[in-house]
Amino acid sequence: MASSYWIGDAEGRVLGPVALDVVQELVATGRLQDVTRASTDGNHWAPPEHFPEILALLLNAPKPEALFELERQEAGRVWDQLRAMQGKLPHEVFGIEEGAAVDAYRNCFFKLVKRFYPDRVRVQAHPDLRRAYSDAFHFLSRLMVHIETELAAGRAVRAMPAIRDTPVPAPAPRLAPPAQPPPARPEGSKAAMRPLPRGPVPLPRATYEPREFVGLQRHDDRVEVTVRVTAQNSTMFTQHPLVNIQSGGVFLASRTSLPLGTPVDVVFHFDNPAREIKARGRVILENAGADPRAPVGFGVRLVALPDAEKSFVQAFLARAAKR
Amino acid sequence: MATILIVDDDAFVRTLLRDMLAGQGHALLEAEDGREALDVLRARTPELVLLDLFMPRLSGLEALAAIRQRWPSARVLVISSLDSERLVREAIEAGAAGFITKPFHPVEITTAVARALAN
Repeated sequence: MASSYWIGDAEGRVLGPVALDVVQELVATGRLQDVTRASTDGNHWAPPEHFPEILALLLNAPKPEALFELERQEAGRVWDQLRAMQGKLPHEVFGIEEGAAVDAYRNCFFKLVKRFYPDRVRVQAHPDLRRAYSDAFHFLSRLMVHIETELAAGRAVRAMPAIRDTPVPAPAPRLAPPAQPPPARPEGSKAAMRPLPRGPVPLPRATYEPREFVGLQRHDDRVEVTVRVTAQNSTMFTQHPLVNIQSGGVFLASRTSLPLGTPVDVVFHFDNPAREIKARGRVILENAGADPRAPVGFGVRLVALPDAEKSFVQAFLARAAKR
Repeated sequence: MATILIVDDDAFVRTLLRDMLAGQGHALLEAEDGREALDVLRARTPELVLLDLFMPRLSGLEALAAIRQRWPSARVLVISSLDSERLVREAIEAGAAGFITKPFHPVEITTAVARALAN
């Protein structure tokens, strides 16, 4: 029997027991990063250097420059695939029989579309790769919505012309100089996942847009902020004329500057009554001190804060105002 | 309706899954890692476990083996971003009822949960 390994990462997470080829596949595809320790029994751990076979996999991971060029080539392949899909009938795209039930379409759709989930692409990847993934993802999403609509109406499934018209760039010249990698993200960025799709029950009609897919941790673009909320500082939700709870935001006083557009995970710790609320958002306003009349900090537009939690915040603010 | 244990070290994922499934009328239990999952199971056996693979203290695969051995009536759906084909096969061979790749869609989760509970 082949040897099994346990792998640990910088966040203390453990995977195992798995075969070496699983580790190899996960490292090579960038799914497994920041390996800090390994074990052959799950109990006795050592740095990867103590396992030559593991170390070899980590050292063989592509260098950033090589990765950038590989990503450009991959973008070309994805666009080729997209052109091929656009020339097929819907059931051929998903590789199932014509007349299949909606569940069969969905199963195949989910398997296929996740290969092109745009946020699988690292932040500093070649820009063509994100575009190519996004093009393929949106083509498949719109196709799936079309299929569900047609089947719900009792009609046979055929591709919509608009879907077929999804623009695909012409193949890039193979000898074109690659674009330069974008600058690195600011330090302190932390892992997290995609925006919250929480919604009313029953689930809203799916459009299968990327924002509806959740659970993918990224390690290179999101900032986590923890805020303790008391009656005294709860004005963070009310004081700023533009970014406040009414507009679905919060202004966080901070000497730390975050660029506009930075995705943020905010964890609010309310003190009385004690409650933790987690919200996802994006920096929409910042003042690093350039405007002396305005508070220093950044404003975050919160995404999909559920009504129950918004109500709690409003009740908390009402009580704070009375004190 | 069923009792479902959500095991994931990512609090956001747990919250999302809890909100999705509570709306379907299920009773939810939560654990942050494999070891805590086994502690929860000692007190109450759910019909279904949603299990991440890459977690602190006790990995999902180890937890899966323990669950299949000690609580065979509990079905296990693996939810992971580590979507190696070989890993999927190993999880299924170890007794998982299914493997959902992150990122996941709410429709995918509710469909897979309904299917796992029906089986």
